[in-house]
Amino acid sequence: MHEIGVRETTRFLGLTFNTETILMTWLVMAIVVIISCLAVRNLKVIPTGCQNFIEIIVVWLHGQIDSMMGKRGRMLAPFIVTLFLFLLTSNLIGLIPTLASPTNDLNTTLGLALLVVVMVHCLGLYFKKGHYIAHFFQPFAPFVVINMIEEIAKPITLAFRLFGNILAGEILIIVLLRLTENPFWMTIPSVAWLGFSIFISCVHAVIFTMLSMAYLGNALKDSH
Amino acid sequence: MIEINATLIAQVLNFLILVVLLRVLAYKPVSRLLEQRSKKIQDSIDKAEADQKAAEETLVQYKAKLADANVKAQEIVEKAEKVARDEHDAAVLATKKEIEQMKATAAEDIQREREKIAAQLRGEVVSLSLAAAGKVISKNIDNKENERLINDFINSLDKEKLGDLSC
Repeated sequence: MHEIGVRETTRFLGLTFNTETILMTWLVMAIVVIISCLAVRNLKVIPTGCQNFIEIIVVWLHGQIDSMMGKRGRMLAPFIVTLFLFLLTSNLIGLIPTLASPTNDLNTTLGLALLVVVMVHCLGLYFKKGHYIAHFFQPFAPFVVINMIEEIAKPITLAFRLFGNILAGEILIIVLLRLTENPFWMTIPSVAWLGFSIFISCVHAVIFTMLSMAYLGNALKDSH
Repeated sequence: MIEINATLIAQVLNFLILVVLLRVLAYKPVSRLLEQRSKKIQDSIDKAEADQKAAEETLVQYKAKLADANVKAQEIVEKAEKVARDEHDAAVLATKKEIEQMKATAAEDIQREREKIAAQLRGEVVSLSLAAAGKVISKNIDNKENERLINDFINSLDKEKLGDLSC
């Protein structure tokens, strides 16, 4: 029986790893890579069939990046597209029975959120130098406290929003089936919730990606 | 339930690996293709514009050439007309001259013929007169004297009468 919240761990090189999360992540990675490779094999200058669809996505993504992150954003396009595909696949894979979302583990979401935030600060320092540090003291020096809270809140909200939604979705799937003696009566609520979870999975993949883009955009854009 | 451990680092690394994989396997080919296509389209547009420009230039050149040719043709026609007129005038002049010359020659011929005939007539008159006179006064005077006399007579006639003789 699946115990909610209890994770099997593996010790390796003196470090503790959540076995299921790591395995599911590898599975997700494999799926993403296979889908991507299938999508981009046999590319032609004159597009046909599903190549049109992929190009629409890439062009749309470039448009989003250009408008949100400016010209420098293009170099982060692979990062953004990978983030989205990874999150989408991770969120959805948990809806398949016996599989779990890597994103139902705070380690994953917080890891990604911290990665984004670290990138934001590194890129901000690299491109804006002193201006980047100065902007924490805007509009006047004491605001540094509020700005720091905001900067710390960014990864935390990013991580917990995704983690909470996905974990809650998976928990409710299990809970709904255990509410009554005869699981048959729970078919309709279960299916409805499953459908809603699919929607939630997509929405949170988009939210996480969009917020990351917005944070990164602040660091990359010349605001003056 | 919520436990942060080394999984966090592993997940970050996993994700970064995925980023690199996708960048190499999927994103690069697509973006390269898009770039390639937009370059191709740009090239096509540039070429079309250049071609159009060249065509327009050629058209302008041809128009200029055509106008030039028209002017030249007009000039040639005018020149030809002038030459023809001159030639015509010259021919008329030459013909007139020729006619004048022919008239003069004819007048000369007539004059010569008249003199020739007059001389002939005079000779005949002399011989006729001689014959007649000879018959009239034969033996009186020798032939030489007779001829002299008659010639004198006729010469006087020449001066007085023959000049008015119409031929």
